[in-house]
Amino acid sequence: MDHPSETSAVHGDHDSHGAPIDLAKSIRLYVKVGVLLIIFTCVTWGVALIDFGSHALNIGIGLAIATFKVSLVSLIFMHLNHERGLIYKVLLFTVILGAAMMFLFVLAFMDPIKAALTH
Amino acid sequence: MEIPYTVTARPDTGLYNAKVGIWLFLASEVMLFGGLFSSYVFLRIGADFPWPRHELHVLPGFINTMVLIGSSVTVLSAWASLKARRYGWFQVNMVITILCALAFMCIKSYEYYGKFHHYSVIMVDGSVLDGHRPSDHADEYSPDQYNGDKVALTEVKSFTLNLAKSTTGFLKHQRISAGPDKPYAEVSAGTVVRVRTPEGKEVDFSEAWLKPVKRAFRDLENIRSDLAIITERIESPKKQVEAMKAAVTGNYPVPFDAAKAEKLLADGAALKASSLEKIAKLEAKIAEMEKDNPESKAPNLTLQVAGTPLTFLVNERDFAKYNAGEISFRDDVVLTGKVVNDAIPLMADVIDLRQTKDPEKSLVWKYYPQLKEPFFKHKEEVTGAFLKKHAAHANDFEKDLDWQHEALRVEIEEIASKEELENIEEPAHAINIERSDKRFYSNFSPSRSPYYAIYFLMTGLHGLHVIGGAIVLSYFLLTGRKMYKRNPEHLANRVEVGGLFWHFVDLVWIFLFPVFYLL
Repeated sequence: MDHPSETSAVHGDHDSHGAPIDLAKSIRLYVKVGVLLIIFTCVTWGVALIDFGSHALNIGIGLAIATFKVSLVSLIFMHLNHERGLIYKVLLFTVILGAAMMFLFVLAFMDPIKAALTH
Repeated sequence: MEIPYTVTARPDTGLYNAKVGIWLFLASEVMLFGGLFSSYVFLRIGADFPWPRHELHVLPGFINTMVLIGSSVTVLSAWASLKARRYGWFQVNMVITILCALAFMCIKSYEYYGKFHHYSVIMVDGSVLDGHRPSDHADEYSPDQYNGDKVALTEVKSFTLNLAKSTTGFLKHQRISAGPDKPYAEVSAGTVVRVRTPEGKEVDFSEAWLKPVKRAFRDLENIRSDLAIITERIESPKKQVEAMKAAVTGNYPVPFDAAKAEKLLADGAALKASSLEKIAKLEAKIAEMEKDNPESKAPNLTLQVAGTPLTFLVNERDFAKYNAGEISFRDDVVLTGKVVNDAIPLMADVIDLRQTKDPEKSLVWKYYPQLKEPFFKHKEEVTGAFLKKHAAHANDFEKDLDWQHEALRVEIEEIASKEELENIEEPAHAINIERSDKRFYSNFSPSRSPYYAIYFLMTGLHGLHVIGGAIVLSYFLLTGRKMYKRNPEHLANRVEVGGLFWHFVDLVWIFLFPVFYLL
């Protein structure tokens, strides 16, 4: 296994924004988040087996946990917790348009032709 | 040429270029998968059938989630190792990441394989039987054994071709009896089918014979079309005048223009006079061609088999429709004979009567009469437990989707006794479902239902992303040493960009897993 040259270590042990990087500390953080993600995956499975009285509630809880997990991945793994402004600007549009797509199904209840036929 | 800002940040963005690029790419990827998730919502809320829930085995999906989360941690560790100038650790983490990608694809393939070898028959009364086929070796079956999804047609004494569409492709389904154990053996290469034309001429039926017949038919059709165009043009003025006369008394009356009508009729008469010679020529040509090519006269040509009647074994996907005495192919070839075996062999594992109007009279009981009593006993138990929990739904519990799912869709192992189950799982005791009883039959592929269509589409697309990501990361692993020695920060940036894509792949799966496997 190679060891880092002293020179490169001096110049390189910083993250992409210049903050110094501590390998052991970074890996500990990533492993902790990974374990958290695994725990929440188990929770999602467990929650799916519980009868909350309404299947819609099961879906809501399942998706809420998935959204929390996605937030962890984006913020910690993808470093969105300390990213440059340009990235946030790009993602703002993505989030707005992506969220809008999730509600397109509302149009299915607004079919003017069907409405005209039934009235 | 030196590409700028591969290592250092661009002053205006504060980022190296590849990072801006990957985030723009990921934004487009979010829209791609967002569109597919939106389609999933549409399909689910608009489904006119019980949307499958808990039908996929959760464990493989769960393991794959673990694998992807693990690989996300290792790809980050690989990047951090480069930042700390620990190339050895980078290699170790990268190898684990790539192994995780391989493991993910292996588990996914295992899941797909299981789906492609699991079958579903929807019967004409809406009852559903899912199960496995006793054998996939359909070509050498005995009519008393398994025929997979093939239909056997014997005593084929004639067949009809559509000269505009048909080919000789159907001949590949021809079979021959090679003893009682092999009634549908492949015919040897070079076997010739001898046929008799409507005029009584005996010929070898082959592509070489059919090609000129089809060409002559096409030529004839072209000449007939020319003739039809001329006739139409001659008749057109007369039709226009008739329309003008009819318009006088129509819903929106138009006054009759006598002068225009007279001119139209005169034009028509003049055209007829000038076309008489051409019409006569075309008619003579048609008569001559019909005489020279009697097989090509009509669009449909029926040929009688000279000698021993033929036998065919046809895959369901290859024919358009069939009945007791005919199989029609998609290219309009119609074989006339006798269907001798068209049963669908199945070893069922699930009974689903949610779409059956009267479960008591379900067609399932024709094939599994021994399971009727346990099925309804189980239904009563489920109903009792359900009403205990949801007393308010005593009058409308049958509309409840959860009750339907629990009471009317059962895995046979839940209700059958051990002996019965062993019997049902024995290939020799597979049931043979008559095709007249089935409305739909397929494996659990995209054609099974919109649920499986979107499942395969989204997980398949996600799988392609896993493969793509693994290729890129492998490239960094295999070629990284040179770049590391030259400029380690450049390699770290590359791995960071590859890692961001890898996290996105993980992120998509975090939604796919509950949506398809759990909810």
